[in-house]
Amino acid sequence: MFIYHELCQDCEPDPSQTSRNPPCSSNILSVTRKLTQFAKGGFTSALYSQEHGEGEMNKWTKTAASVAAAMTLFGASTLAQAADTIKIAMAGPVTGPVAQYGDMQFTGGNAAIEMINAAGGINGKQLEGVIYDDACDPKQAVAVANKIVNDGAQFVLGHLCSSATQPASDIYEDEGILMITAASTSPDITARGYELIFRTIGLDSDQGPTASNYIIDHVKPKKVAVIHDKQQYGEGIASSVKAGLEAAKIPVVAFEGVTAGDKDFSALIAKLKKLNVDFVYYGGYHPELGLLLRQSKEKGLTAQFMGPEGVGNKDISAIAGEASEGLLVTLPKKYDLLPENKAVVDHIVAKGGDATGPFVWTGYAAVQAISQGLKAGKTDPMDLAEYLRATPTNTVMGELAWDKKGDLKGFEFGVFTWHKDGTSSQN
Amino acid sequence: MSEQFYYFLQQILNGVTIGSTYALIAIGYTMVYGIIGMINFAHGEVYMLGSYAAFFVLAGLAMVGIDSLPLLLIAAFSLSIIITSAYGWSIERVAYRPLRGGNRLIPLISAIGMSIFLQNFVRLAQGSRDIAMPSLITGGWTIGPADGFNITLSYMQVVIFVVTFLSMTALTLFISKSRMGRACRACAEDIGMANLLGINTNKVISITFVIGAALAAVAGVLLGMYYGVINPYLGFMAGLKAFTAAVLGGIGSIPGAVLGGLLLGIAEAITAGYFSTEYKDVVSFGLLCFVLLFMPTGILGKPEVEKV
Repeated sequence: MFIYHELCQDCEPDPSQTSRNPPCSSNILSVTRKLTQFAKGGFTSALYSQEHGEGEMNKWTKTAASVAAAMTLFGASTLAQAADTIKIAMAGPVTGPVAQYGDMQFTGGNAAIEMINAAGGINGKQLEGVIYDDACDPKQAVAVANKIVNDGAQFVLGHLCSSATQPASDIYEDEGILMITAASTSPDITARGYELIFRTIGLDSDQGPTASNYIIDHVKPKKVAVIHDKQQYGEGIASSVKAGLEAAKIPVVAFEGVTAGDKDFSALIAKLKKLNVDFVYYGGYHPELGLLLRQSKEKGLTAQFMGPEGVGNKDISAIAGEASEGLLVTLPKKYDLLPENKAVVDHIVAKGGDATGPFVWTGYAAVQAISQGLKAGKTDPMDLAEYLRATPTNTVMGELAWDKKGDLKGFEFGVFTWHKDGTSSQN
Repeated sequence: MSEQFYYFLQQILNGVTIGSTYALIAIGYTMVYGIIGMINFAHGEVYMLGSYAAFFVLAGLAMVGIDSLPLLLIAAFSLSIIITSAYGWSIERVAYRPLRGGNRLIPLISAIGMSIFLQNFVRLAQGSRDIAMPSLITGGWTIGPADGFNITLSYMQVVIFVVTFLSMTALTLFISKSRMGRACRACAEDIGMANLLGINTNKVISITFVIGAALAAVAGVLLGMYYGVINPYLGFMAGLKAFTAAVLGGIGSIPGAVLGGLLLGIAEAITAGYFSTEYKDVVSFGLLCFVLLFMPTGILGKPEVEKV
């Protein structure tokens, strides 16, 4: 700790540093960030202390200065690199049980970057996409966010899971980095008055009413069970559906959480059978719902199931097999079927990718939004954020406009029926 | 019979199914502890390897066009047991044998490292996605009224009961009747003395790891086919639960592991059935705390006598 403390005092003589550096604190994260900032900006001050400060310096400060000198070389090389490209960090799960959704986002983000670069880039500069793996884990997301800060990226596409996006977005907001998530639907993320946090997808609070209205108008069940995975995304959306159904006087006879990663739902299914439910809403992701569907079929529970876009993934058909036929899912619109997006679909397919996932398109649109702002000369994240709030942007998802919180205006989910071959059709 | 009774019976059956597999995995913990007094925390991962081995055998056979059910089952069980046993043997050789004789904590930490290594090895080699495992045995019985609550018992559940029972019987016979089993019991009693009397204790310890791994492989094949999904992370929770079962029954005691597994499975099913699924794991690990506090030797465990 001592090293960093001394280092911080070293920064003081440089006026450009004092304004940017937050006050010294013992927080290790901010210390690491500070070190890098210092290394990048504090070239002169590091030299100064080496040449002139020798006499008064104690042992700790000497060490600090040599660390700083070493870091300066490193910082200088990254600065040189950053000059001709604009880095866009893409954060999401590359590994872990929901890596499929990360794939979708990266496919979309990469396609957008490649196509923008092919069309001449941003005022002569090329975009550079760098993928970071948060494994959809809140702890790892914080580590990734700090790494992104240290790597000097100013624009982030991601994160994916709401529980990972939330802690990471704190860091981006503090560090002046613009973040657009293509998949996190938890309302909490944009409800904290942050200025640099946007999304290109709807909210659970929209998706929930879409689901509950559909249930009330079309399914008309007698007894409903609402199950969730106790995570921010799953429980949030499940609560919203439950509230919607109860407002319409449809009895919700069970509201229970399962543990993500659990494999055995036989006890829960027996309970649902005994309660005689004819409709089950599941808030969560596909690995658990897939098993729940499969075991329900084996155990003779004949209820209709429904889930949010987190379950709408080909793997649910691999896990549940025939039991996935007829599952209801709320998904964003199918942008890959729009004729004006044919060029993008062709580009992705030519690269061997899959253009059908929902986050391919929200990811693509997020990069488009960033690049449109950059083209308009808004290279500072804060200016870009102002620009996005003020100017509607043309994207593969149509014209997008953001409200003060960073949420999309007028984003709509549709209700789809899932099929056992992994496809879905709109209802 | 009333609906309440059917419901209770269904939950007991669910509990016994999951409990049987906990028992199979718990044997691996309890045998290793009984002989060298160490908790092999990599054992959950060995179970996961068993599932993966079975998946490859089934996928391989399907590729060459073999679809006779008995053949597939025999191949899946035998090859998975062989591959997983080889892993069990090598883990002991690589991670534990060089550390034997030192502080008890050192192999424990090595075991945790091994567990992390194996999990990530499978994740990198096979990807972290869920892999769908073919269910060879489908269908089942329905007992009770057609309208109202009825019990379902799938053929696969019956297979799990039967295979678990057979494995346990075979293990008991091996331990009580065979020459090697006698050597195992001697080592469990006093490994130093057994060594002096000419028993190859290194071999006995290796055999212990192989038996534990073989039973974990059986559990891996059974549960892989029962749930139809495998992923690199399934060993962690299963390992923890089996460890709880082993402690509950009395670590070091083989009948204790079986009893502990069944009790834990039933406790989970009853909690999920009558209270809430959310409290399932709370009850499992609450039981572990309770046993450690009030019955440190478990239900069937012997109080440890300090060897002089």
